[in-house]
Amino acid sequence: MLRIKAQRAGNGSVLGKHCNTGARQAPSNVKRNIKAMTPKELLDSLKPQAGQHLRTAVILGLLAGWVIILQAWLLARVINGVIFDAQTLSDVWLLLALLLGLFALRFSLTWASERVAFKAAADVKHTLRTRLYGQITKIGPVLRDDLTAATVSTSLLEGIEALEAYFSRYLPAMSLVALIPLSIVAVILPFDWKSALIMLLTAPLIPIFMIMIGKGTERLNQRQWKKLALMSGHFLDMIQGLTTLKLFNASRREAQTVAAISDDYGRETMVVLRVAFLSSAVLEFVATVSIAMIAVTIGFRLLFGHMDFLYGFYVLLLAPEFYLPLRSMGTHYHARMEAIGAAENIALALDTPIDPAREIESEHRIQAPVKITARELTFHYPGARVALQQLDFEIAAGERVAIVGPSGAGKSTLANLLLGFITPQAGALLFNDTDVRSLALATRQALISWVPQQPRLFMGTIADNIRLGNPAASDAEVTAAAQQAAAHDFITRLNQGYATPTGELGAGLSGGEIQRIALARAFLKNAPILLLDEATASLDPESEAAITQAMEAIRRDTTLIVIAHRLTTVTRMDRILVMDQGRVVQAGTHTALLAEAGLYRTLVQSYGFGAQS
Amino acid sequence: MKEALRLMGLFKPAWPWVLLGIFLALITILANVSLMALSGWFIAAMAIAGAAGASMNYFTPAGAIRGLSIARTAGRYFERLVTHAATFRMLARLRHWFYLKLEPLAPAGLQGYHSGDLLNRISSDIDKLENLYLRILTPFTVAFLSSAVFAAFLAWLNPLYAIIVVTLLAIAGIAIPLLAERLGRQPGEEIAQLTRSLRTVVVDGVQGMAELEVYGQTEQQKHKIEQLSLRLLACQRKLANYAGLVQAATGLCANLTMWLLLLAAIPEVNRGELPPAQLSMLALFALAAFESILPLPLAMQTWGETKTAAQRLFAIADTPPPIAEPEAPKAIPTTLDIHFDEVWLTYPGAQNPALKGVTLDIPQGSSLGIVGATGSGKSSLTNLLLRFYEPDRGQVMLGGIALPALHTEALRAQLAVVPQRAHLFNTSIEQNLLLANPEASQAQIEQACRLACIHDFIIAQPEGYLTEVGETGVKVSGGQARRIAIARALLKNAPILILDEPAEGLDAATEQAVIDNLLQAAKDKTVVLITHRPAGLEQLDQIVVMHQGKITERGTHTQLLATAPIYQALFNRFSEIPSTLPS
Repeated sequence: MLRIKAQRAGNGSVLGKHCNTGARQAPSNVKRNIKAMTPKELLDSLKPQAGQHLRTAVILGLLAGWVIILQAWLLARVINGVIFDAQTLSDVWLLLALLLGLFALRFSLTWASERVAFKAAADVKHTLRTRLYGQITKIGPVLRDDLTAATVSTSLLEGIEALEAYFSRYLPAMSLVALIPLSIVAVILPFDWKSALIMLLTAPLIPIFMIMIGKGTERLNQRQWKKLALMSGHFLDMIQGLTTLKLFNASRREAQTVAAISDDYGRETMVVLRVAFLSSAVLEFVATVSIAMIAVTIGFRLLFGHMDFLYGFYVLLLAPEFYLPLRSMGTHYHARMEAIGAAENIALALDTPIDPAREIESEHRIQAPVKITARELTFHYPGARVALQQLDFEIAAGERVAIVGPSGAGKSTLANLLLGFITPQAGALLFNDTDVRSLALATRQALISWVPQQPRLFMGTIADNIRLGNPAASDAEVTAAAQQAAAHDFITRLNQGYATPTGELGAGLSGGEIQRIALARAFLKNAPILLLDEATASLDPESEAAITQAMEAIRRDTTLIVIAHRLTTVTRMDRILVMDQGRVVQAGTHTALLAEAGLYRTLVQSYGFGAQS
Repeated sequence: MKEALRLMGLFKPAWPWVLLGIFLALITILANVSLMALSGWFIAAMAIAGAAGASMNYFTPAGAIRGLSIARTAGRYFERLVTHAATFRMLARLRHWFYLKLEPLAPAGLQGYHSGDLLNRISSDIDKLENLYLRILTPFTVAFLSSAVFAAFLAWLNPLYAIIVVTLLAIAGIAIPLLAERLGRQPGEEIAQLTRSLRTVVVDGVQGMAELEVYGQTEQQKHKIEQLSLRLLACQRKLANYAGLVQAATGLCANLTMWLLLLAAIPEVNRGELPPAQLSMLALFALAAFESILPLPLAMQTWGETKTAAQRLFAIADTPPPIAEPEAPKAIPTTLDIHFDEVWLTYPGAQNPALKGVTLDIPQGSSLGIVGATGSGKSSLTNLLLRFYEPDRGQVMLGGIALPALHTEALRAQLAVVPQRAHLFNTSIEQNLLLANPEASQAQIEQACRLACIHDFIIAQPEGYLTEVGETGVKVSGGQARRIAIARALLKNAPILILDEPAEGLDAATEQAVIDNLLQAAKDKTVVLITHRPAGLEQLDQIVVMHQGKITERGTHTQLLATAPIYQALFNRFSEIPSTLPS
């Protein structure tokens, strides 16, 4: 029987766990702020944005509360008049007409306050979403370890939605929770201090109980939600692994587990709920018994003639309204919990410092073609071994260079450095003898076309995806780039050709075909440097051949760097840089390198059966 | 409605709880309304008695007020307990029922659902059904029953009162929610649509940040997110607007009811036909009665979602199983030679066949390598052998018996498979291994893990074999997960071992060691090694090269190396070269 442990709540995210680049951590030269922002601080800092609308919502809510107070008074007058002064409809028509007016007013106030409350939340949601995405793009594609693409996406979507109730319900309710009951007490105090006293004495019991029990149940409640999430997480795990269960003839055996685990969690959750519900029952009890007490004491004062029915009835009408905001505090409290939970990851992202090298402002430009020089480049990821160690190399303008080496040699880190995603801790990278630190990030990146190992197809059509390389390109230019990348033929074979939306393709394109679209994108950009990260997975033979051919057609003044995994690729390059443990250990042509004893020969001999020499 | 009835049918054993929950909810509402009405009557009666200097039996009403306030609180508490307990029972049954329906469909019948997204949706659809009882059935039943009680009580006083109250309750409880649902449908659909688009653009923007940045498209993506976010908010504003309208209108209905009751009752009081104390009772009664219909707008809205969820689940549950079990299964033959006879396979929904007339013999105890590019049909052979799919044409035989004549569980007991995507369950390594053989001893487990070169890693963990692998195995690396899956397959100890790209994600040294161990351990078994990497191929009896659904080359390693270009190309790569190489 498969048992899950209470370690991670929630459904498995369907998003990928990592970004496209090989490395996952931010460089350690970027220190985190000493004092991290807490979720509560983040929520507080957002309040001013909701400010105006929030205040309006509270004012409208308060006005609605006052209308209730007035309405109760008119109603008490009508009923008192009819019962004790034998008044008829013609005597009370004015009061009744006024009541109708108040109903209409209350209707408008309630509606308006709901609309305004939404606006308060909407402003916060929109600003925060824009700000958070802006921050993520500033941090750059190499995210921190605890800031995965999946958590960031969740924050941008569900996380921000979870803040809505906090701003549209919880905050206005928290302001009104004191204002409306106090208004009611203020009104009845002059003529019925006894009832006012009962209200004033019992009202604090509700928040006190709520805090007392709340402290305990909050934990229980969270555990309960986690358990519910776990239960559905377990079910998801089972259906995702159904094929694997079948392989072991365990799929039917596990059917009982599904029921048993659901039952177990149900039972365990009930234990928690018994306590959680008890706490809200206590709150309800306080409110209900207080109202009953008020009613009974008023009754006796009326019987003994110590009070007028008009006032007695008025107080009875107001008593439930007095306790209502207090009672509903519990429901709004949940909105607060959810918001704080969601704010945690948002605060983490907003708090992440930005590498100053990514924010350089400079007008400096570099002319094509580009020579690339690395001088003693050193880079290490936080808490990890050195990824690049005083790396030195020079790639001439227009040269075609392959970078090979075992996994972990530092090839992906080098690519990330060239692309400006990370900054070296020591050493310098020069483009045409200019230190890249004197270039703005966008200027630098404009110099490079890049085909990653696993290129991404973005939402839009195939043409849109190619045009990413140059949004101003004409259709003819897009087609030409696709032809150059040997992608034109298979694209035109698709039902809608270049206009095929990528979303509908799903698995319809092979890895090789996606590579060729990315290659077309890179060609269309026509930058002086082309960085190609060869796929490690085997492509279909047609794509392999097509890509090799396409690389031949690259303009001779383009500086071409290929992180290579195929011998056929390597042999066509002007020069090969062999990397090992963060350094270039050998450099030269394929023939020259094969001739000397060293890592390259070992690599080719142990793997490279196809070496023709 | 059809969906609701079918669901309730599934929940039959939970009915006593369901009915008890509804009964308690009804008690709570009635206690509350009675409490308010009685209080109104009580103070008016006390005031009238006081003014007249008459005496009055106040013990009974004062006691009743106290009793009702306790009944209301207790009723509410037990109602919540019982309805939640009932919901858990229903969900447990529902999961079990749905799992039993889903199980025969996997994997062929679920092919359209293979992405995690859709499986996620199934799981959340099931969770949504908890709303049916808690937020839909109970509120509607209680609203209906309590309205009937209110109407009966009022009709006893004066039928006109009953008509007023029932009419306005119906407007607030049925007409307004229906209208709100109608109004909200279009923005609701738009919100769903925009949320999906926003998700795609956000995920594109986060996961594709590197490419967008290099191509200078960061600002454009930001703009896209902003635009979608604004459009989403505009639709949400519409919905919030309708929700506010519904809330305001419900309150208005309650007030109007009270007002109309006053209009009707005041002349009666004047005429002496209605005891004056009942006027204040009616006013409070009217206001309190609307509590019963407050949850209905939300219930109506929830019903739409719940119905869609139920329809989707029923559609899956009603799919006929793609693989039929034989009525009189034959016994597993004594020899286990495998024979593919001219098999063709087209996956459901695919345009081109994955296999185009493959004939292949794998004698018992022999070893076979299948090589070829991704998509050439290698794994389809395994899918047929496991009878996860039926061939379009041709047949697969085991020991001379066609597979459909064998019981699938008996057939699968003969096969130990490391699939390309082995699922690790969110539990300990040990539990994941025991899946293959619940009776395996610790020694057997460790032996399997040593062969898969994962034992050392496992015992280096603080919790050893009890280490949790996390959801879908996220806490172990791809290579470790792979080796755990290999150990699991070894533990099954079946006569036929099928390894589908077992070394994916392993470095070359480990790959070589694992493959050597596997071939050594399985030397008396039938072994099928599907791979696109060279390790181990030279040790196999025969190798076939697949290309676009056909076997294009057959032979031994040495033969193919000399003659087959596709085979040669396999060795033409540097991928995942180990950092330490034997010199």
